[in-house]
Amino acid sequence: MASFQPNSNGEPVAAEPWLPTIFSRDHKSVGLLYLWLALISVVLGMALSLVMRVQLGHQGASVAGSTGSSERYAAITLLHGSLMVFFVLTAAPQCGFGYFFVPLQIGAREMAFPRLSALSFWMTAASLVGITASVLVFAGSGPTVWLGSAMCFCAAMLAASLNLCVTVIDSRARGMTLPRLPITVWAWFVTAILSLLIFSILLAAGVLLFSDRMFNTHFFATAALAQASIASVWQRWFWFFAQAQVYVAMLPCFGVVTHLLSTYSRKPVWSERMAVLALCAVGLFGFCIWGEHMFASGLNPFLPLVFSMLASSLGAPALLLIACWFGTLLGAKARLTTAMLFALGFVSLFLSGGLSGIFLARREFAGGSTGDAFVTGHFHLVMGVAATFAILAGLFFWFPKMFGRRLNEALGKIHFWITFCGVYVLFMTMHWLGLLERTIAAPDAAQFRGLRMVIAAATVATVSAQILFFVNFFWSLLRGDRAGAKNPWRATTLEWSVASPPPKENFRGGVPVVFRGAYELGVPVAGEDFVPQHLAPELLAKLR
Amino acid sequence: MAGTSVLDDIELVIEDIGGGGKPPAGRDGGDSGDDGASGGDSGRARGSSSARKYAIAIALGMVAILMFFMALAAAFLVLRTTSGRWLAFHVPALLWLNTAVLLASSATLELARKRLAIADDEGFRKMWATTTALGVAFVLGQVIAWRELVAAGVYGASSVAVAFFYVFTASHAVHLFGGICALLYVGYRKFKKAQLTRVAAVEVASYYWHFMDALWVFLLALLYLGK
Repeated sequence: MASFQPNSNGEPVAAEPWLPTIFSRDHKSVGLLYLWLALISVVLGMALSLVMRVQLGHQGASVAGSTGSSERYAAITLLHGSLMVFFVLTAAPQCGFGYFFVPLQIGAREMAFPRLSALSFWMTAASLVGITASVLVFAGSGPTVWLGSAMCFCAAMLAASLNLCVTVIDSRARGMTLPRLPITVWAWFVTAILSLLIFSILLAAGVLLFSDRMFNTHFFATAALAQASIASVWQRWFWFFAQAQVYVAMLPCFGVVTHLLSTYSRKPVWSERMAVLALCAVGLFGFCIWGEHMFASGLNPFLPLVFSMLASSLGAPALLLIACWFGTLLGAKARLTTAMLFALGFVSLFLSGGLSGIFLARREFAGGSTGDAFVTGHFHLVMGVAATFAILAGLFFWFPKMFGRRLNEALGKIHFWITFCGVYVLFMTMHWLGLLERTIAAPDAAQFRGLRMVIAAATVATVSAQILFFVNFFWSLLRGDRAGAKNPWRATTLEWSVASPPPKENFRGGVPVVFRGAYELGVPVAGEDFVPQHLAPELLAKLR
Repeated sequence: MAGTSVLDDIELVIEDIGGGGKPPAGRDGGDSGDDGASGGDSGRARGSSSARKYAIAIALGMVAILMFFMALAAAFLVLRTTSGRWLAFHVPALLWLNTAVLLASSATLELARKRLAIADDEGFRKMWATTTALGVAFVLGQVIAWRELVAAGVYGASSVAVAFFYVFTASHAVHLFGGICALLYVGYRKFKKAQLTRVAAVEVASYYWHFMDALWVFLLALLYLGK
């Protein structure tokens, strides 16, 4: 249980900010619990990916399970994917950072429904336990346990999304109009709307599949359906969810990266309203392009053209976002902190991965590609690694606010460069392997042994580099430099107007008044170059 | 970079009531914020803010529930023409009676709201209790219909159409159970110290109840016409 002590202003703050109160309904505790959950999941997920790469690098060995157990390997792949997609890429940026910072950035004391915050976390935690146990503990009933746990996660995400939506709509401080919302809040809001729509679909699919397994119904029974029918039901639902799920993971990352690029460049977000519109468009297009995953599944011949055009048109809002990022960076004297490096790393990975995505949007290219190394490389580069870079950028940026201490910058930069180089070697080689597999008529596993070994070695190096991060993280939690000032990055948004870590009820039990937008940077005021959102005009006039 | 400055020591202007409205006239030195999209009236009372919060939540919840049932309905329509295990299924006659009971509950709920609007507390309580009883009666009627089908040997495994009947009715009953809990909560809560007024709670609960009512009519039509 976390205890509270008064800070220098006499406000109650957590004595050990890294130790959230387990059964608390406070948004900061729930956000931290989500982040701890993601940390546990990422460790487990990375360990599993190591097992898989070693198995693929040494095909004769039986690293991933008992000899000849391809089912065991598939189960480990499933667990790796479930942990990383659900509990890291979805939960950390949206629920971890979202729960912690939405009320602080919009000037609210608490989430709209604090009980729902706690409920969503505990359902997520139960889902994590169930999904892990389904592979590691249960043998025969594993798939059913996994399915039940996945449905529990859907319900948790629905609860969290509803809570976040209502909080942003209803709990904003006076003066926090929509144009003044930080772009991070916009991203969390759009993601929450998207989550509300797609997790319901996955829940419905789960209910029918659960019914098939438990009550012997035949919604997805292969014997009773033609192959095309299976595709038309299960695959449509799954991709309806899963393609949009990519944007549920990515949208908060876009928000965090845009926010950080602006803050560290000491410039307003270039065409801020266009960036917000682009975020909304990504959410809208992301909801409509599920069919691009079904080019190999026997669609109506007209539909691939439609989905191909829709998928390609997603490039328009993506290009707008990229234009906003480069427009912000243009001519800026950027502060290359570790957080900024990870944000720039995200931009680089997103661009690289996006280029291979253009190929996959083409019907003739994607037709025979489902599940090969090219798709795996593309998916991991864009969704897995790029999103992880954004999460790390957010963590380095907000660590002082969350814990009152700063992560070590030198160690952070070493961690960044090893990880950055490691993932490029790993996933570019994987793209290359995928292209070779396509071009050789009858590929032989032995032909690609060298490339597979490079991938395995790069995986080991990249995963090992994360030890640096964990050392930095835990050392900084306990011994890191005190943040000192409450606003070490000279940021404008409301969370930096309160002590680090933020006191109970955030703003002394009331809500602040907001006077301006979130990106008044590069404006000379009292020896500084920014105007915080809460600075009253008359005070600003005096300071000038 | 991390030194203290004048900007760090600026006191926040703190208000007691939140809500996303515009700052006071003449004080806005930043961007205008005049977008017509402010979150609410700065002077509104806490009760109305709370009512709005619950109304937004129930509206969003209804969107999510609608997506859930539309996904099931889409599967119903696709499998109707493609499944090899689709056998025509006639909905039990009892369902029509149950539907009448549910429709009646919506009517009594509206009568209860009218009583409340004219401050007839006794009349409101009677009508509200009747609505709750009709809701419970509907769920019991659905259970009886299930038992009749099971007794007749009609299981979900026998036909996909039957399986859809069980899934539709069970999913709807689970959601309706939430509505019954809301009716009981509103009916028995005193609302003296609550953030939400009884009128607002009744309004929010009625949105959900009518939605459940309309949803059931849609599902029944689907089952009946799609057999």
